[in-house]
Amino acid sequence: MAKALRFRFSRGQELKYIAHLDMLRVFERAIKRAKIPVAYTQGFNPRQKLVFGLPMSIGLTSESEYADIELVEDMQPEEFVTQINKGLPDGLKAEEAVSMNTRDNIMNQITAARYEIVFEVKEPRSRFEIDTIIYDLLSREEISVMKKSKKGPKPVNIRPSIYSMSAGKIDAGKFLMKAFLSAGAENNLRVDLLMQSFSQETNLEINIISMHRKALYASTYNEWKNPFEVAND
Amino acid sequence: MHPLTMMQLKIDDSILLKVEKPAKYTGNEWNMVKKHLNNIKVRFAFCFPDDYEIGMSHLGMKILYHILNKREEVYCERAFAPWVDMEQIMREKNMPLYTLETYTPLSEFDMVGFTLQYEMSYTNILNMLELGRIPVLSKDRTEGMPFVIAGGPCACNPEPLADFVDFFVIGEGEEVILEIVDEYISWKEAGESRAEFLKRVSKVEGVYVPSFYDISYNEDGTIKDIIPANSDVPGRIRRRIIKDLDSVDFPDNIIVPYIGTVHDRIMLEIFRGCVRGCRFCQAGFIYRPVRERSHEKLYEIAKASAQNTGYDEISMVSLSTSDYSSLPELCNNLIEFTEEEKISLSLPSLRVDNFSLGLMDKVSKVRKSGLTFAPEAGTQRLRDVINKGITNEDLVSSVKLAVSGGWNQVKLYFMLGLPTETMEDVEGISKLSINLIESCRDITKAHGKALNITLSTACFVPKPFTPFQWEPMEEMDSLMKKQYHLKDLIKKRTRNIKYNYHDARISLMEAVLARGDRRLGKVIYTAWSNGCKFDGWDEFFSFDKWMEAFNECGLDPKFYANRKREYSEILPWDHIDMGVSKEFLIRENQKAYEGDLTRNCAAGCSACGAQIYKTGICTKTRRGLVYGESTEV
Ligand code: SF4
Repeated sequence: MAKALRFRFSRGQELKYIAHLDMLRVFERAIKRAKIPVAYTQGFNPRQKLVFGLPMSIGLTSESEYADIELVEDMQPEEFVTQINKGLPDGLKAEEAVSMNTRDNIMNQITAARYEIVFEVKEPRSRFEIDTIIYDLLSREEISVMKKSKKGPKPVNIRPSIYSMSAGKIDAGKFLMKAFLSAGAENNLRVDLLMQSFSQETNLEINIISMHRKALYASTYNEWKNPFEVAND
Repeated sequence: MHPLTMMQLKIDDSILLKVEKPAKYTGNEWNMVKKHLNNIKVRFAFCFPDDYEIGMSHLGMKILYHILNKREEVYCERAFAPWVDMEQIMREKNMPLYTLETYTPLSEFDMVGFTLQYEMSYTNILNMLELGRIPVLSKDRTEGMPFVIAGGPCACNPEPLADFVDFFVIGEGEEVILEIVDEYISWKEAGESRAEFLKRVSKVEGVYVPSFYDISYNEDGTIKDIIPANSDVPGRIRRRIIKDLDSVDFPDNIIVPYIGTVHDRIMLEIFRGCVRGCRFCQAGFIYRPVRERSHEKLYEIAKASAQNTGYDEISMVSLSTSDYSSLPELCNNLIEFTEEEKISLSLPSLRVDNFSLGLMDKVSKVRKSGLTFAPEAGTQRLRDVINKGITNEDLVSSVKLAVSGGWNQVKLYFMLGLPTETMEDVEGISKLSINLIESCRDITKAHGKALNITLSTACFVPKPFTPFQWEPMEEMDSLMKKQYHLKDLIKKRTRNIKYNYHDARISLMEAVLARGDRRLGKVIYTAWSNGCKFDGWDEFFSFDKWMEAFNECGLDPKFYANRKREYSEILPWDHIDMGVSKEFLIRENQKAYEGDLTRNCAAGCSACGAQIYKTGICTKTRRGLVYGESTEV
């Protein structure tokens, strides 16, 4: 029994076209419809105590998103999962939940994310050619991209945020890229930004077919951990 | 099985990830109706001729979507005007405009219905028809093609759209739309021709088939006669109304969009019509008589809606919340459950008095930021002309009350170009606003925050079925002069007033389309062909293109907008009967020039004509009077 829960959910094709704030609203409404005894903040404009691990940009699907929720009544994690799914639309599904007791929230704990991106190349390339292109790119000390900031766009070196990157051929002209990237409140590399710079820096004309998040990680003492493992740290 | 071959489009990422807010084009929202097409006899595409975010905020669409879909053999789906980025891709890829429910092109529907909420959306209708692969002109539609229908407030003068719409529905749609559907099913079973269907529906009360009427013109361009094609066709089309609002279904399971829309909340329609009869306001005349929904019914609807949608806001909808007779009961009941469920309640268009301020204190969880007042005119004289029963003293005391209650922002709405307006009236607007700030100075000093006013002026547009339907719209130059003069006056005196004014050129076009005849069809068609669309949006409106269209068609916009019409002139909408009588409107027009007030329906009846419906406020006895008994104030 717990008054705070951490849950994992997935986002499928149906719901991948909405931005982060819109998704937050979808959850808030789903929680109301499902009659989850959620806790609210005080004040003029009470909000549900609900925190997401990492924003999702438009176009991204995921099998492994995390969120923390505070309740006013105890609820079994399994019951919570069954219940909230009644209020969630097609394309969003709570998968599992654990009780939580940490002063840190999920947003502060997330530090890395694993992605799979399917892309097409305009001109035929072999697996070996793509490998070489990636290898050359990763050998560089600096990969500069323009990132939006409060004072307008400014150049940022994203190389340190790429932990690994590799590609395999899945079809004629189609590749599957796997990328492990820094993520979270402190240093976040968005996958769409990575792919944009990949195409620009290597002069490879690509067409992105899908972007999918495989996993989110928290880190403690230089170890990657499943966010459930740190739910009670 | 639906007789037409079904075509389902596939819209993939190569399109969706290139446009802004792709969720506008994917459907599948919470509570969207899904049906098996096998059992469907009538497929209805409900079209809103503007962006999704506007259209999904519209209550009428939600009501009719619900009513139609309650019928098992009917499937009502939705379509909106694609935003320009999406339209461009659709045209490049040769992709037809489709409905969000089943991704079916508009051309495959039995009926395609447009709602006419504002004149400046007319070109979007043409655009949507073309994108939906339906011939834009009614006369080009042949057997097997959809019937194009239109309804909504602007349908009270349907003439400018007569070339494009097969038939119009005049008035409230809940009952008549089902009668039309029934007629369609039996027509289909009888295997008759397209022309036969139009004959059938023309007999349904409230339906207007424009092609069954011939219009002849005088040499000076005014209308000579409106002649029904044969004796089967009604000479006048009477507007439909719902006699008892509690008896018709109101949706409690509305679609919840995935992206923010303009009114993204539960809308509780508490009553229809308005008792007040401000002489410039079309809504005050075309929805008569006032009919209320019971507070018990509203409470049920609110509770069920909250459960079914998960929305955290409920807003009451009507032309004037304060006039709802059971407002205290309704609020008390609602407050109880909304507080518990953390739902905020909003009560727009409340008059400010002690009761409403107390109420707002109780219900609103939002910060005290803005209050809205609509004096509409700057001097008492002009407010009497327009029958706006509000005095300077009322306004000052209301604003003072609000300011002592902690509100420090006030929005004021006025109109420029009202009949009989002089520069003195225009200056009155600035005087009145400055006077408000000064009257509140004592109170605001104590708070340490000055009163800030946002002042907006719209240009007065004379509308059909109002006492001002014969009046000329003020010339553009003169309107602009007034705008600049007011701007100067305010700038000189204070920094606490922010002044906004409407583009007079958009208002001029609105005036033309609102009171035009069917010759304007050519102009609308030409303007659209020249690229006009989303005319209600400042960033797309092109005055020059519209003027070119008038030129090409040899018509003069001033003839429609700026000409004073005689009482005896046949008006393009004279064959439409909205309930209020012409005699009453003439009476009101004359009283306006005398500066004579007309009491509101709650205080006594003025025999406006709407008593023919024998319902609502007309049948209430008040102070011993029944409708029609006395016509004096
Ligand atoms: S008939 Fe009388 S009570 Fe009825 S709407 Fe008209 S003025 Fe009001």
